[in-house]
Amino acid sequence: MEAVVSFEEFSYSYPTREDVLVDIDFQVHRGEVLGVIGPNGAGKSTLCRCLNGLIPHFYGGRIRGKVIVAGLDTQEHSTAELSMKVGLLFQDPIEQLSGVALTVEEEVGFGLSMLGYPKEVIGERVAEAIERVGLKGLEGRSPYELSGGQQQRLALATVLAMRPEVIALDEPTALLDPIGKYEVFGVLRELASEGSTLMVVEHEIEELAYIADRILLLHGGRILSIDESKRVLSEVSRLKEIGVDPPSVTELTYLLEREVGVALGEYPTTLPEAVRLYGEVLRS
Amino acid sequence: MGVVRRVLLDKRVLTGDSIIHRLDPRPKFFFFLWISVLAYVFYDYVLTALFLLVILALAAAAGILRRILLVLAVIVLPGFAFAIPILSVLFPWNETLMFKLHILGFELPLYYEGFTWGLSWPLKIAVCVSSALLFYLTTEPGELIALLFKLRLPYKFIYMVTITLQLIPLLLDEIQTIYQAQLSRGLRTKANPVKRIWNFLALVIPLTLSSLMKVQTRAIALESRGFSAPVRKTCLYDIRLRAGDHLFFSAMIAVTLLLAYLYLLYGFSPIVHLKFYYVAG
Ligand SMILES: Nc1ncnc2c1ncn2[C@@H]1O[C@H](COP(=O)(O)OP(=O)(O)O)[C@@H](O)[C@H]1O
Ligand SMILES: [Mg+2]
Repeated sequence: MEAVVSFEEFSYSYPTREDVLVDIDFQVHRGEVLGVIGPNGAGKSTLCRCLNGLIPHFYGGRIRGKVIVAGLDTQEHSTAELSMKVGLLFQDPIEQLSGVALTVEEEVGFGLSMLGYPKEVIGERVAEAIERVGLKGLEGRSPYELSGGQQQRLALATVLAMRPEVIALDEPTALLDPIGKYEVFGVLRELASEGSTLMVVEHEIEELAYIADRILLLHGGRILSIDESKRVLSEVSRLKEIGVDPPSVTELTYLLEREVGVALGEYPTTLPEAVRLYGEVLRS
Repeated sequence: MGVVRRVLLDKRVLTGDSIIHRLDPRPKFFFFLWISVLAYVFYDYVLTALFLLVILALAAAAGILRRILLVLAVIVLPGFAFAIPILSVLFPWNETLMFKLHILGFELPLYYEGFTWGLSWPLKIAVCVSSALLFYLTTEPGELIALLFKLRLPYKFIYMVTITLQLIPLLLDEIQTIYQAQLSRGLRTKANPVKRIWNFLALVIPLTLSSLMKVQTRAIALESRGFSAPVRKTCLYDIRLRAGDHLFFSAMIAVTLLLAYLYLLYGFSPIVHLKFYYVAG
């Protein structure tokens, strides 16, 4: 499988904080959705900042090892160059707006205009990106007049318009209300099913269980495990030890086994899977 | 702040459609420079008042006369109120006595030179301010950005101007929010001056801090979107000179020629024939 992102024996220290990432070594493959989980301060945001060269170009600090994205070494290429290869989505939708666009359409076109694309190309790509995040009909609105969920989808559209090879999302729904979360996850599911390459940092572990092919568990700047979602999420006691909540259905199954002595044989991680497994057990 | 906000910042209400709105931003911007320079070249309050009338006529055509008059009332009327009486009495080059004012048993001589000086300068400022407003209030933000692109200014500068225009209203909202929050926590607005300065700081410090944090995040977001890519940025807006714009330019050229002729014939004060003052005189 082709690696779009490749961390090679990578370690990083901020200028004011040592060893925030230590011995990070993993790949994100083309077409894969990699979930990233871990307690607060584990280094998840730091990991995202490495993808488009914000680390080290913007934050400084010390690096060992390499990060290669779409064949480019992030230390040798500027963030502006990498902006065509990697899209980054942050928590706060408002703060990633350009601040100068008067309309949704202009906001989506901003990145391409910064890279000097001709207007016709920008127009085409903007229309396509707006369509994909479901903001059609709101092209002429001011970005500031949108709801949180719409703003975050707008931010996603600005990233999609650049047609990056991989998109890293750092808790994209953390600041949204339930409706906003639902809207954004809807788009993410669609992107995942279309075969986009995504790296998703998310506390909404239930949602992550649906879309992630693999999950990386980060703790204290080190990779504790990286494996198929089901495998990682099934290690309930380990997750709880470091302060990460597994999906409720997984935890329920775990507790039933430990406290009541009823074992299912495997741990479901999503609701449909739980319904299937429990259905079988209850019928027999 | 109320007036500033109503006149300058609530541009949303103002996207009008008139002959003036439809002009390209370039002739309008040039008009502002042109008439301001003329107002300084000529020292003649009748002529300056004529310039002001022309601007106000254009403002009326654009449907923004009230807004401009409001601003003039705030900055020009006080100018007259202070400058005219003080200069009529105390202007160093006063020589022509107009009349003597008797107040409370005092006799105040009023002089023509100071009077005209006090009359002219607020008028000049009025020309400058109202033509700038005429430009600003009838130009869409997009046109303004396109204008800055056409002037070949560096993109970082264009971004700075644009973001300022865009963010000031948001910033004002934020001031409101913080102010309300502090009022509800017992901030006292009727207090002595020292207390007031303190209150002001209590308002400004959280604002500055929260803005600084935002600047940092925004800088990162911009950087991630290719902001500093070393290429010519694409301008997303179009502006084009049309027949009306050429007509407007032609009118300015014609008037310039006429005024140049008057200047050669009568000097800098062609209608009221004022004298030039210089320190050595
Ligand atoms: N800009 C920075 N400068 C110094 N230390 C930082 C910076 N950003 C994060 N850190 C520190 O690095 C560690 C990892 O932070 P972060 O990547 O934000 O974790 P997470 O996103 O998993 O919560 C934390 O201990 C945090 O205090
Ligand atoms: Mg984080």
